[in-house]
Amino acid sequence: MATYKGNTHSEPAKMEQIITEFFAKSLHIILESRCAYVSSRNYSGEQFLSSPSPSSSSSSSSSFRPRDKWFNLALRDCPAALENIDFWRQSNLEPMIVDVVLNQRPSNWDPLNNRGIVRNLSGKERYYYGSDSDEFGCETKSEKVVERWFLQYESKKSCGGNGGKRSNCTSSHSLYKKSILLLRSLYVTVRLLPAYKLFRDLISSAQICSYNLGHRVSSFVEPFTRREEADMQRFVFTPVETSCGRLCLSVLYRSSVSDVSSEPSTPMSPQFIQEYVGSPMAEPLKRFSSGPVSQSSPSSSPFGRRHSWSYDLYRASPPSANPSPSPTYSDSHAAISKQLSNRLPPAGLPRHLHDETHDIHMKNPSYDEYWPSPAFSPSPSPSPPTHVPGSQLSKVLLRSESAPLNIPTSRLSSIPSLPNNQMMPPSPPMKATRLIVSKRDAHMGLYHTSSTVDKLFSFSRDEPGKMSNVKPSSNNSSKSYSRNSSRLSFQDDYDDGPFVVDDDDMIDPGSRPSSFDQTRHPSGPFDPDGVFPVKKSQDAAVGALVRMLKKAPPLRQDISVNSHLLNQFSEEPLKELSVATSELISSKTTADALEELRGYKEMKDLLLKQGGNISSE
Amino acid sequence: MNSEVCQLKELEVEHFEIREVLRCILHTILFHRALGLVRPKDVDLELFEITYVQCGDVELDRKIDDKIDQFIDRVEKHPNKKNQICLSFYEVKNKQATWFTNKVERLYWEQWYINLNVAQHPKGHFGKSHHSKVVVDRGDTAADERSARRAALEASLRDVLFQIIRFVNEKKDHVPPIPNLEGVSFPYEITISSSSDSAFGMDMFKRMLQTGHPTMLS
Repeated sequence: MATYKGNTHSEPAKMEQIITEFFAKSLHIILESRCAYVSSRNYSGEQFLSSPSPSSSSSSSSSFRPRDKWFNLALRDCPAALENIDFWRQSNLEPMIVDVVLNQRPSNWDPLNNRGIVRNLSGKERYYYGSDSDEFGCETKSEKVVERWFLQYESKKSCGGNGGKRSNCTSSHSLYKKSILLLRSLYVTVRLLPAYKLFRDLISSAQICSYNLGHRVSSFVEPFTRREEADMQRFVFTPVETSCGRLCLSVLYRSSVSDVSSEPSTPMSPQFIQEYVGSPMAEPLKRFSSGPVSQSSPSSSPFGRRHSWSYDLYRASPPSANPSPSPTYSDSHAAISKQLSNRLPPAGLPRHLHDETHDIHMKNPSYDEYWPSPAFSPSPSPSPPTHVPGSQLSKVLLRSESAPLNIPTSRLSSIPSLPNNQMMPPSPPMKATRLIVSKRDAHMGLYHTSSTVDKLFSFSRDEPGKMSNVKPSSNNSSKSYSRNSSRLSFQDDYDDGPFVVDDDDMIDPGSRPSSFDQTRHPSGPFDPDGVFPVKKSQDAAVGALVRMLKKAPPLRQDISVNSHLLNQFSEEPLKELSVATSELISSKTTADALEELRGYKEMKDLLLKQGGNISSE
Repeated sequence: MNSEVCQLKELEVEHFEIREVLRCILHTILFHRALGLVRPKDVDLELFEITYVQCGDVELDRKIDDKIDQFIDRVEKHPNKKNQICLSFYEVKNKQATWFTNKVERLYWEQWYINLNVAQHPKGHFGKSHHSKVVVDRGDTAADERSARRAALEASLRDVLFQIIRFVNEKKDHVPPIPNLEGVSFPYEITISSSSDSAFGMDMFKRMLQTGHPTMLS
């Protein structure tokens, strides 16, 4: 017989203790799976650890604590539950009513309109995107109770002070066993109710959600109006009879919360395939935002990079992203503006916007469904360009502390293996595993490829025009170079097809070197273009080259790390994932770095030769 | 002792969905019968928007997977039969050895029947769907059909999970007292059978002879 702790003596006292603990455990189970800042899915472990928890024990999570032994169910810490239960214990087995409250942004903020907001990028909305803190601070909230849990111990009147002793009713052992069973099914049920989806979306994409989940614990509440209750369903757990009464647990829940969920209630597989297809293919420009983390990235167009570096060096103050740059942020801020200034030359306003939409698009792939293909073409924006970097601030920070790279390097996108993964948005393991599903369901691709192709076409169709906007101040040659190479990369993507890319990613990391080689080939014809501007300003080029070499990271990398990290990739939670990717970036390119170095050497020779020619003339 | 039987609602699944569906159901049942100290583990299904709970026991996980492998194997060998998985919980009673019986007796106190109807498809051709005319079908309609079917299955699976929860809630008295469990769960076994399989009846009969039918024991 399982033991339960406690220094109880009489049967009623034991019962009472079981009942009290039952309340505590139930509350814990409910809040653990509804309370966003404590995630039972361990996504926000750090947040949790740093949050004050009044009575959390110091033991490690792997060992069982005394509290876990109650009902043989070990739960994760949930400060909210602990606080509330401490409060409740002071009352005398009063009913406990737990409301799970959905705090929603004003009605114009439903997911459909989100799209519009993203596109319009009005300053305020953007602020909310970028802000990690209180997203709902100054807006009027709409509150809705999505679940109401009733916990109650109904005691019988006949059960007086001496009653119940050795009655033919339930013994404390039986009560304990039944409580365990009830709590097991409660644990499963909270995960099957619709509100769990809200919670899951919330913890998996905290920055984007247009809602938050709160809770209220009290002994009595204002009952719902009849109209309110009409929207709700009730699930009643079978009460546990005791000698003195019965333990009741039930829930009223809103059966459809999908209208507030950020994810559309469309079937899963299409969504995920689209997400996956969308992110690597529709987002080639994204790649060099973190590609440069390894400065020895396999770029076969060093002059494109030279250009970006020189841009970086000569541009005095790039457009500032932050409206009020604070000293503490100077480092990251500088990095970002550097990056932005390189990726997004000031004159290329449409491109800013374009990137921005991609960012958000990627961040919350579920919006995919709502994006018609024209969304991929740069929609003219009424917003001033200086706002755009600001919105990227937090995201860029999250993603990498990257150095700048120039647009031509978007050819990276034609490398089918790593960059795709690197650029996946930080997504929970759930989503990562679902990618594999998307592969399994590859037949679904038929359905989606068409739309993807549309997007691609609209994208690449617009590309030349956009690219010609980029940097009108620069000379013709660099312009044409950018255009050619980026268009090229899009076509490469298209030719590869999303699922080929997928397979490479997931199955065969070893094939990467060869795919580097393959993708390098198409670049050949454009290299002359890349070399051409050198003649214009050789000094600058040499200076940049020297600086580049100085800043290059040491070539000490362990290739074997690669496969290991890749294996982790699909399983590790969010945080490790991002670490892993950045490590990947820096570790995968030893060979490429060597090759690049060789390229630099050739370049140097060329420059020297040309210099010699000039001086001899 | 009472023996309770729960017949779970039949599910129409495709071959590639068998594993997830079975895992989800078996783990959910076992979580309700693993009354030892567990640290639950949430698992999101890949094919459906459903989260189920495992009791986080490696041995149990492995055993379930083995049985699912067996089941899939059987489905492939006998494609035209309705297939059933039975999860039974029993208590072990030590009996004095006699001439006729084993020393150890299993007293079955609960049986869950999971009924799957596996849709027949040419194996490995995901592009093809229910009918042979699909080749002519537009990709769109095939996909629509597929997602509608998927959504229906998800709803049914959810129903089955709630069926489990209700059963667990309503029937508590027959669950034996919690022993000082070595493992997390009560002793259990998983058996696979096909409805049109005559050997199945034989098997049951043999088992009844060996152990006595559960209901006869009470």
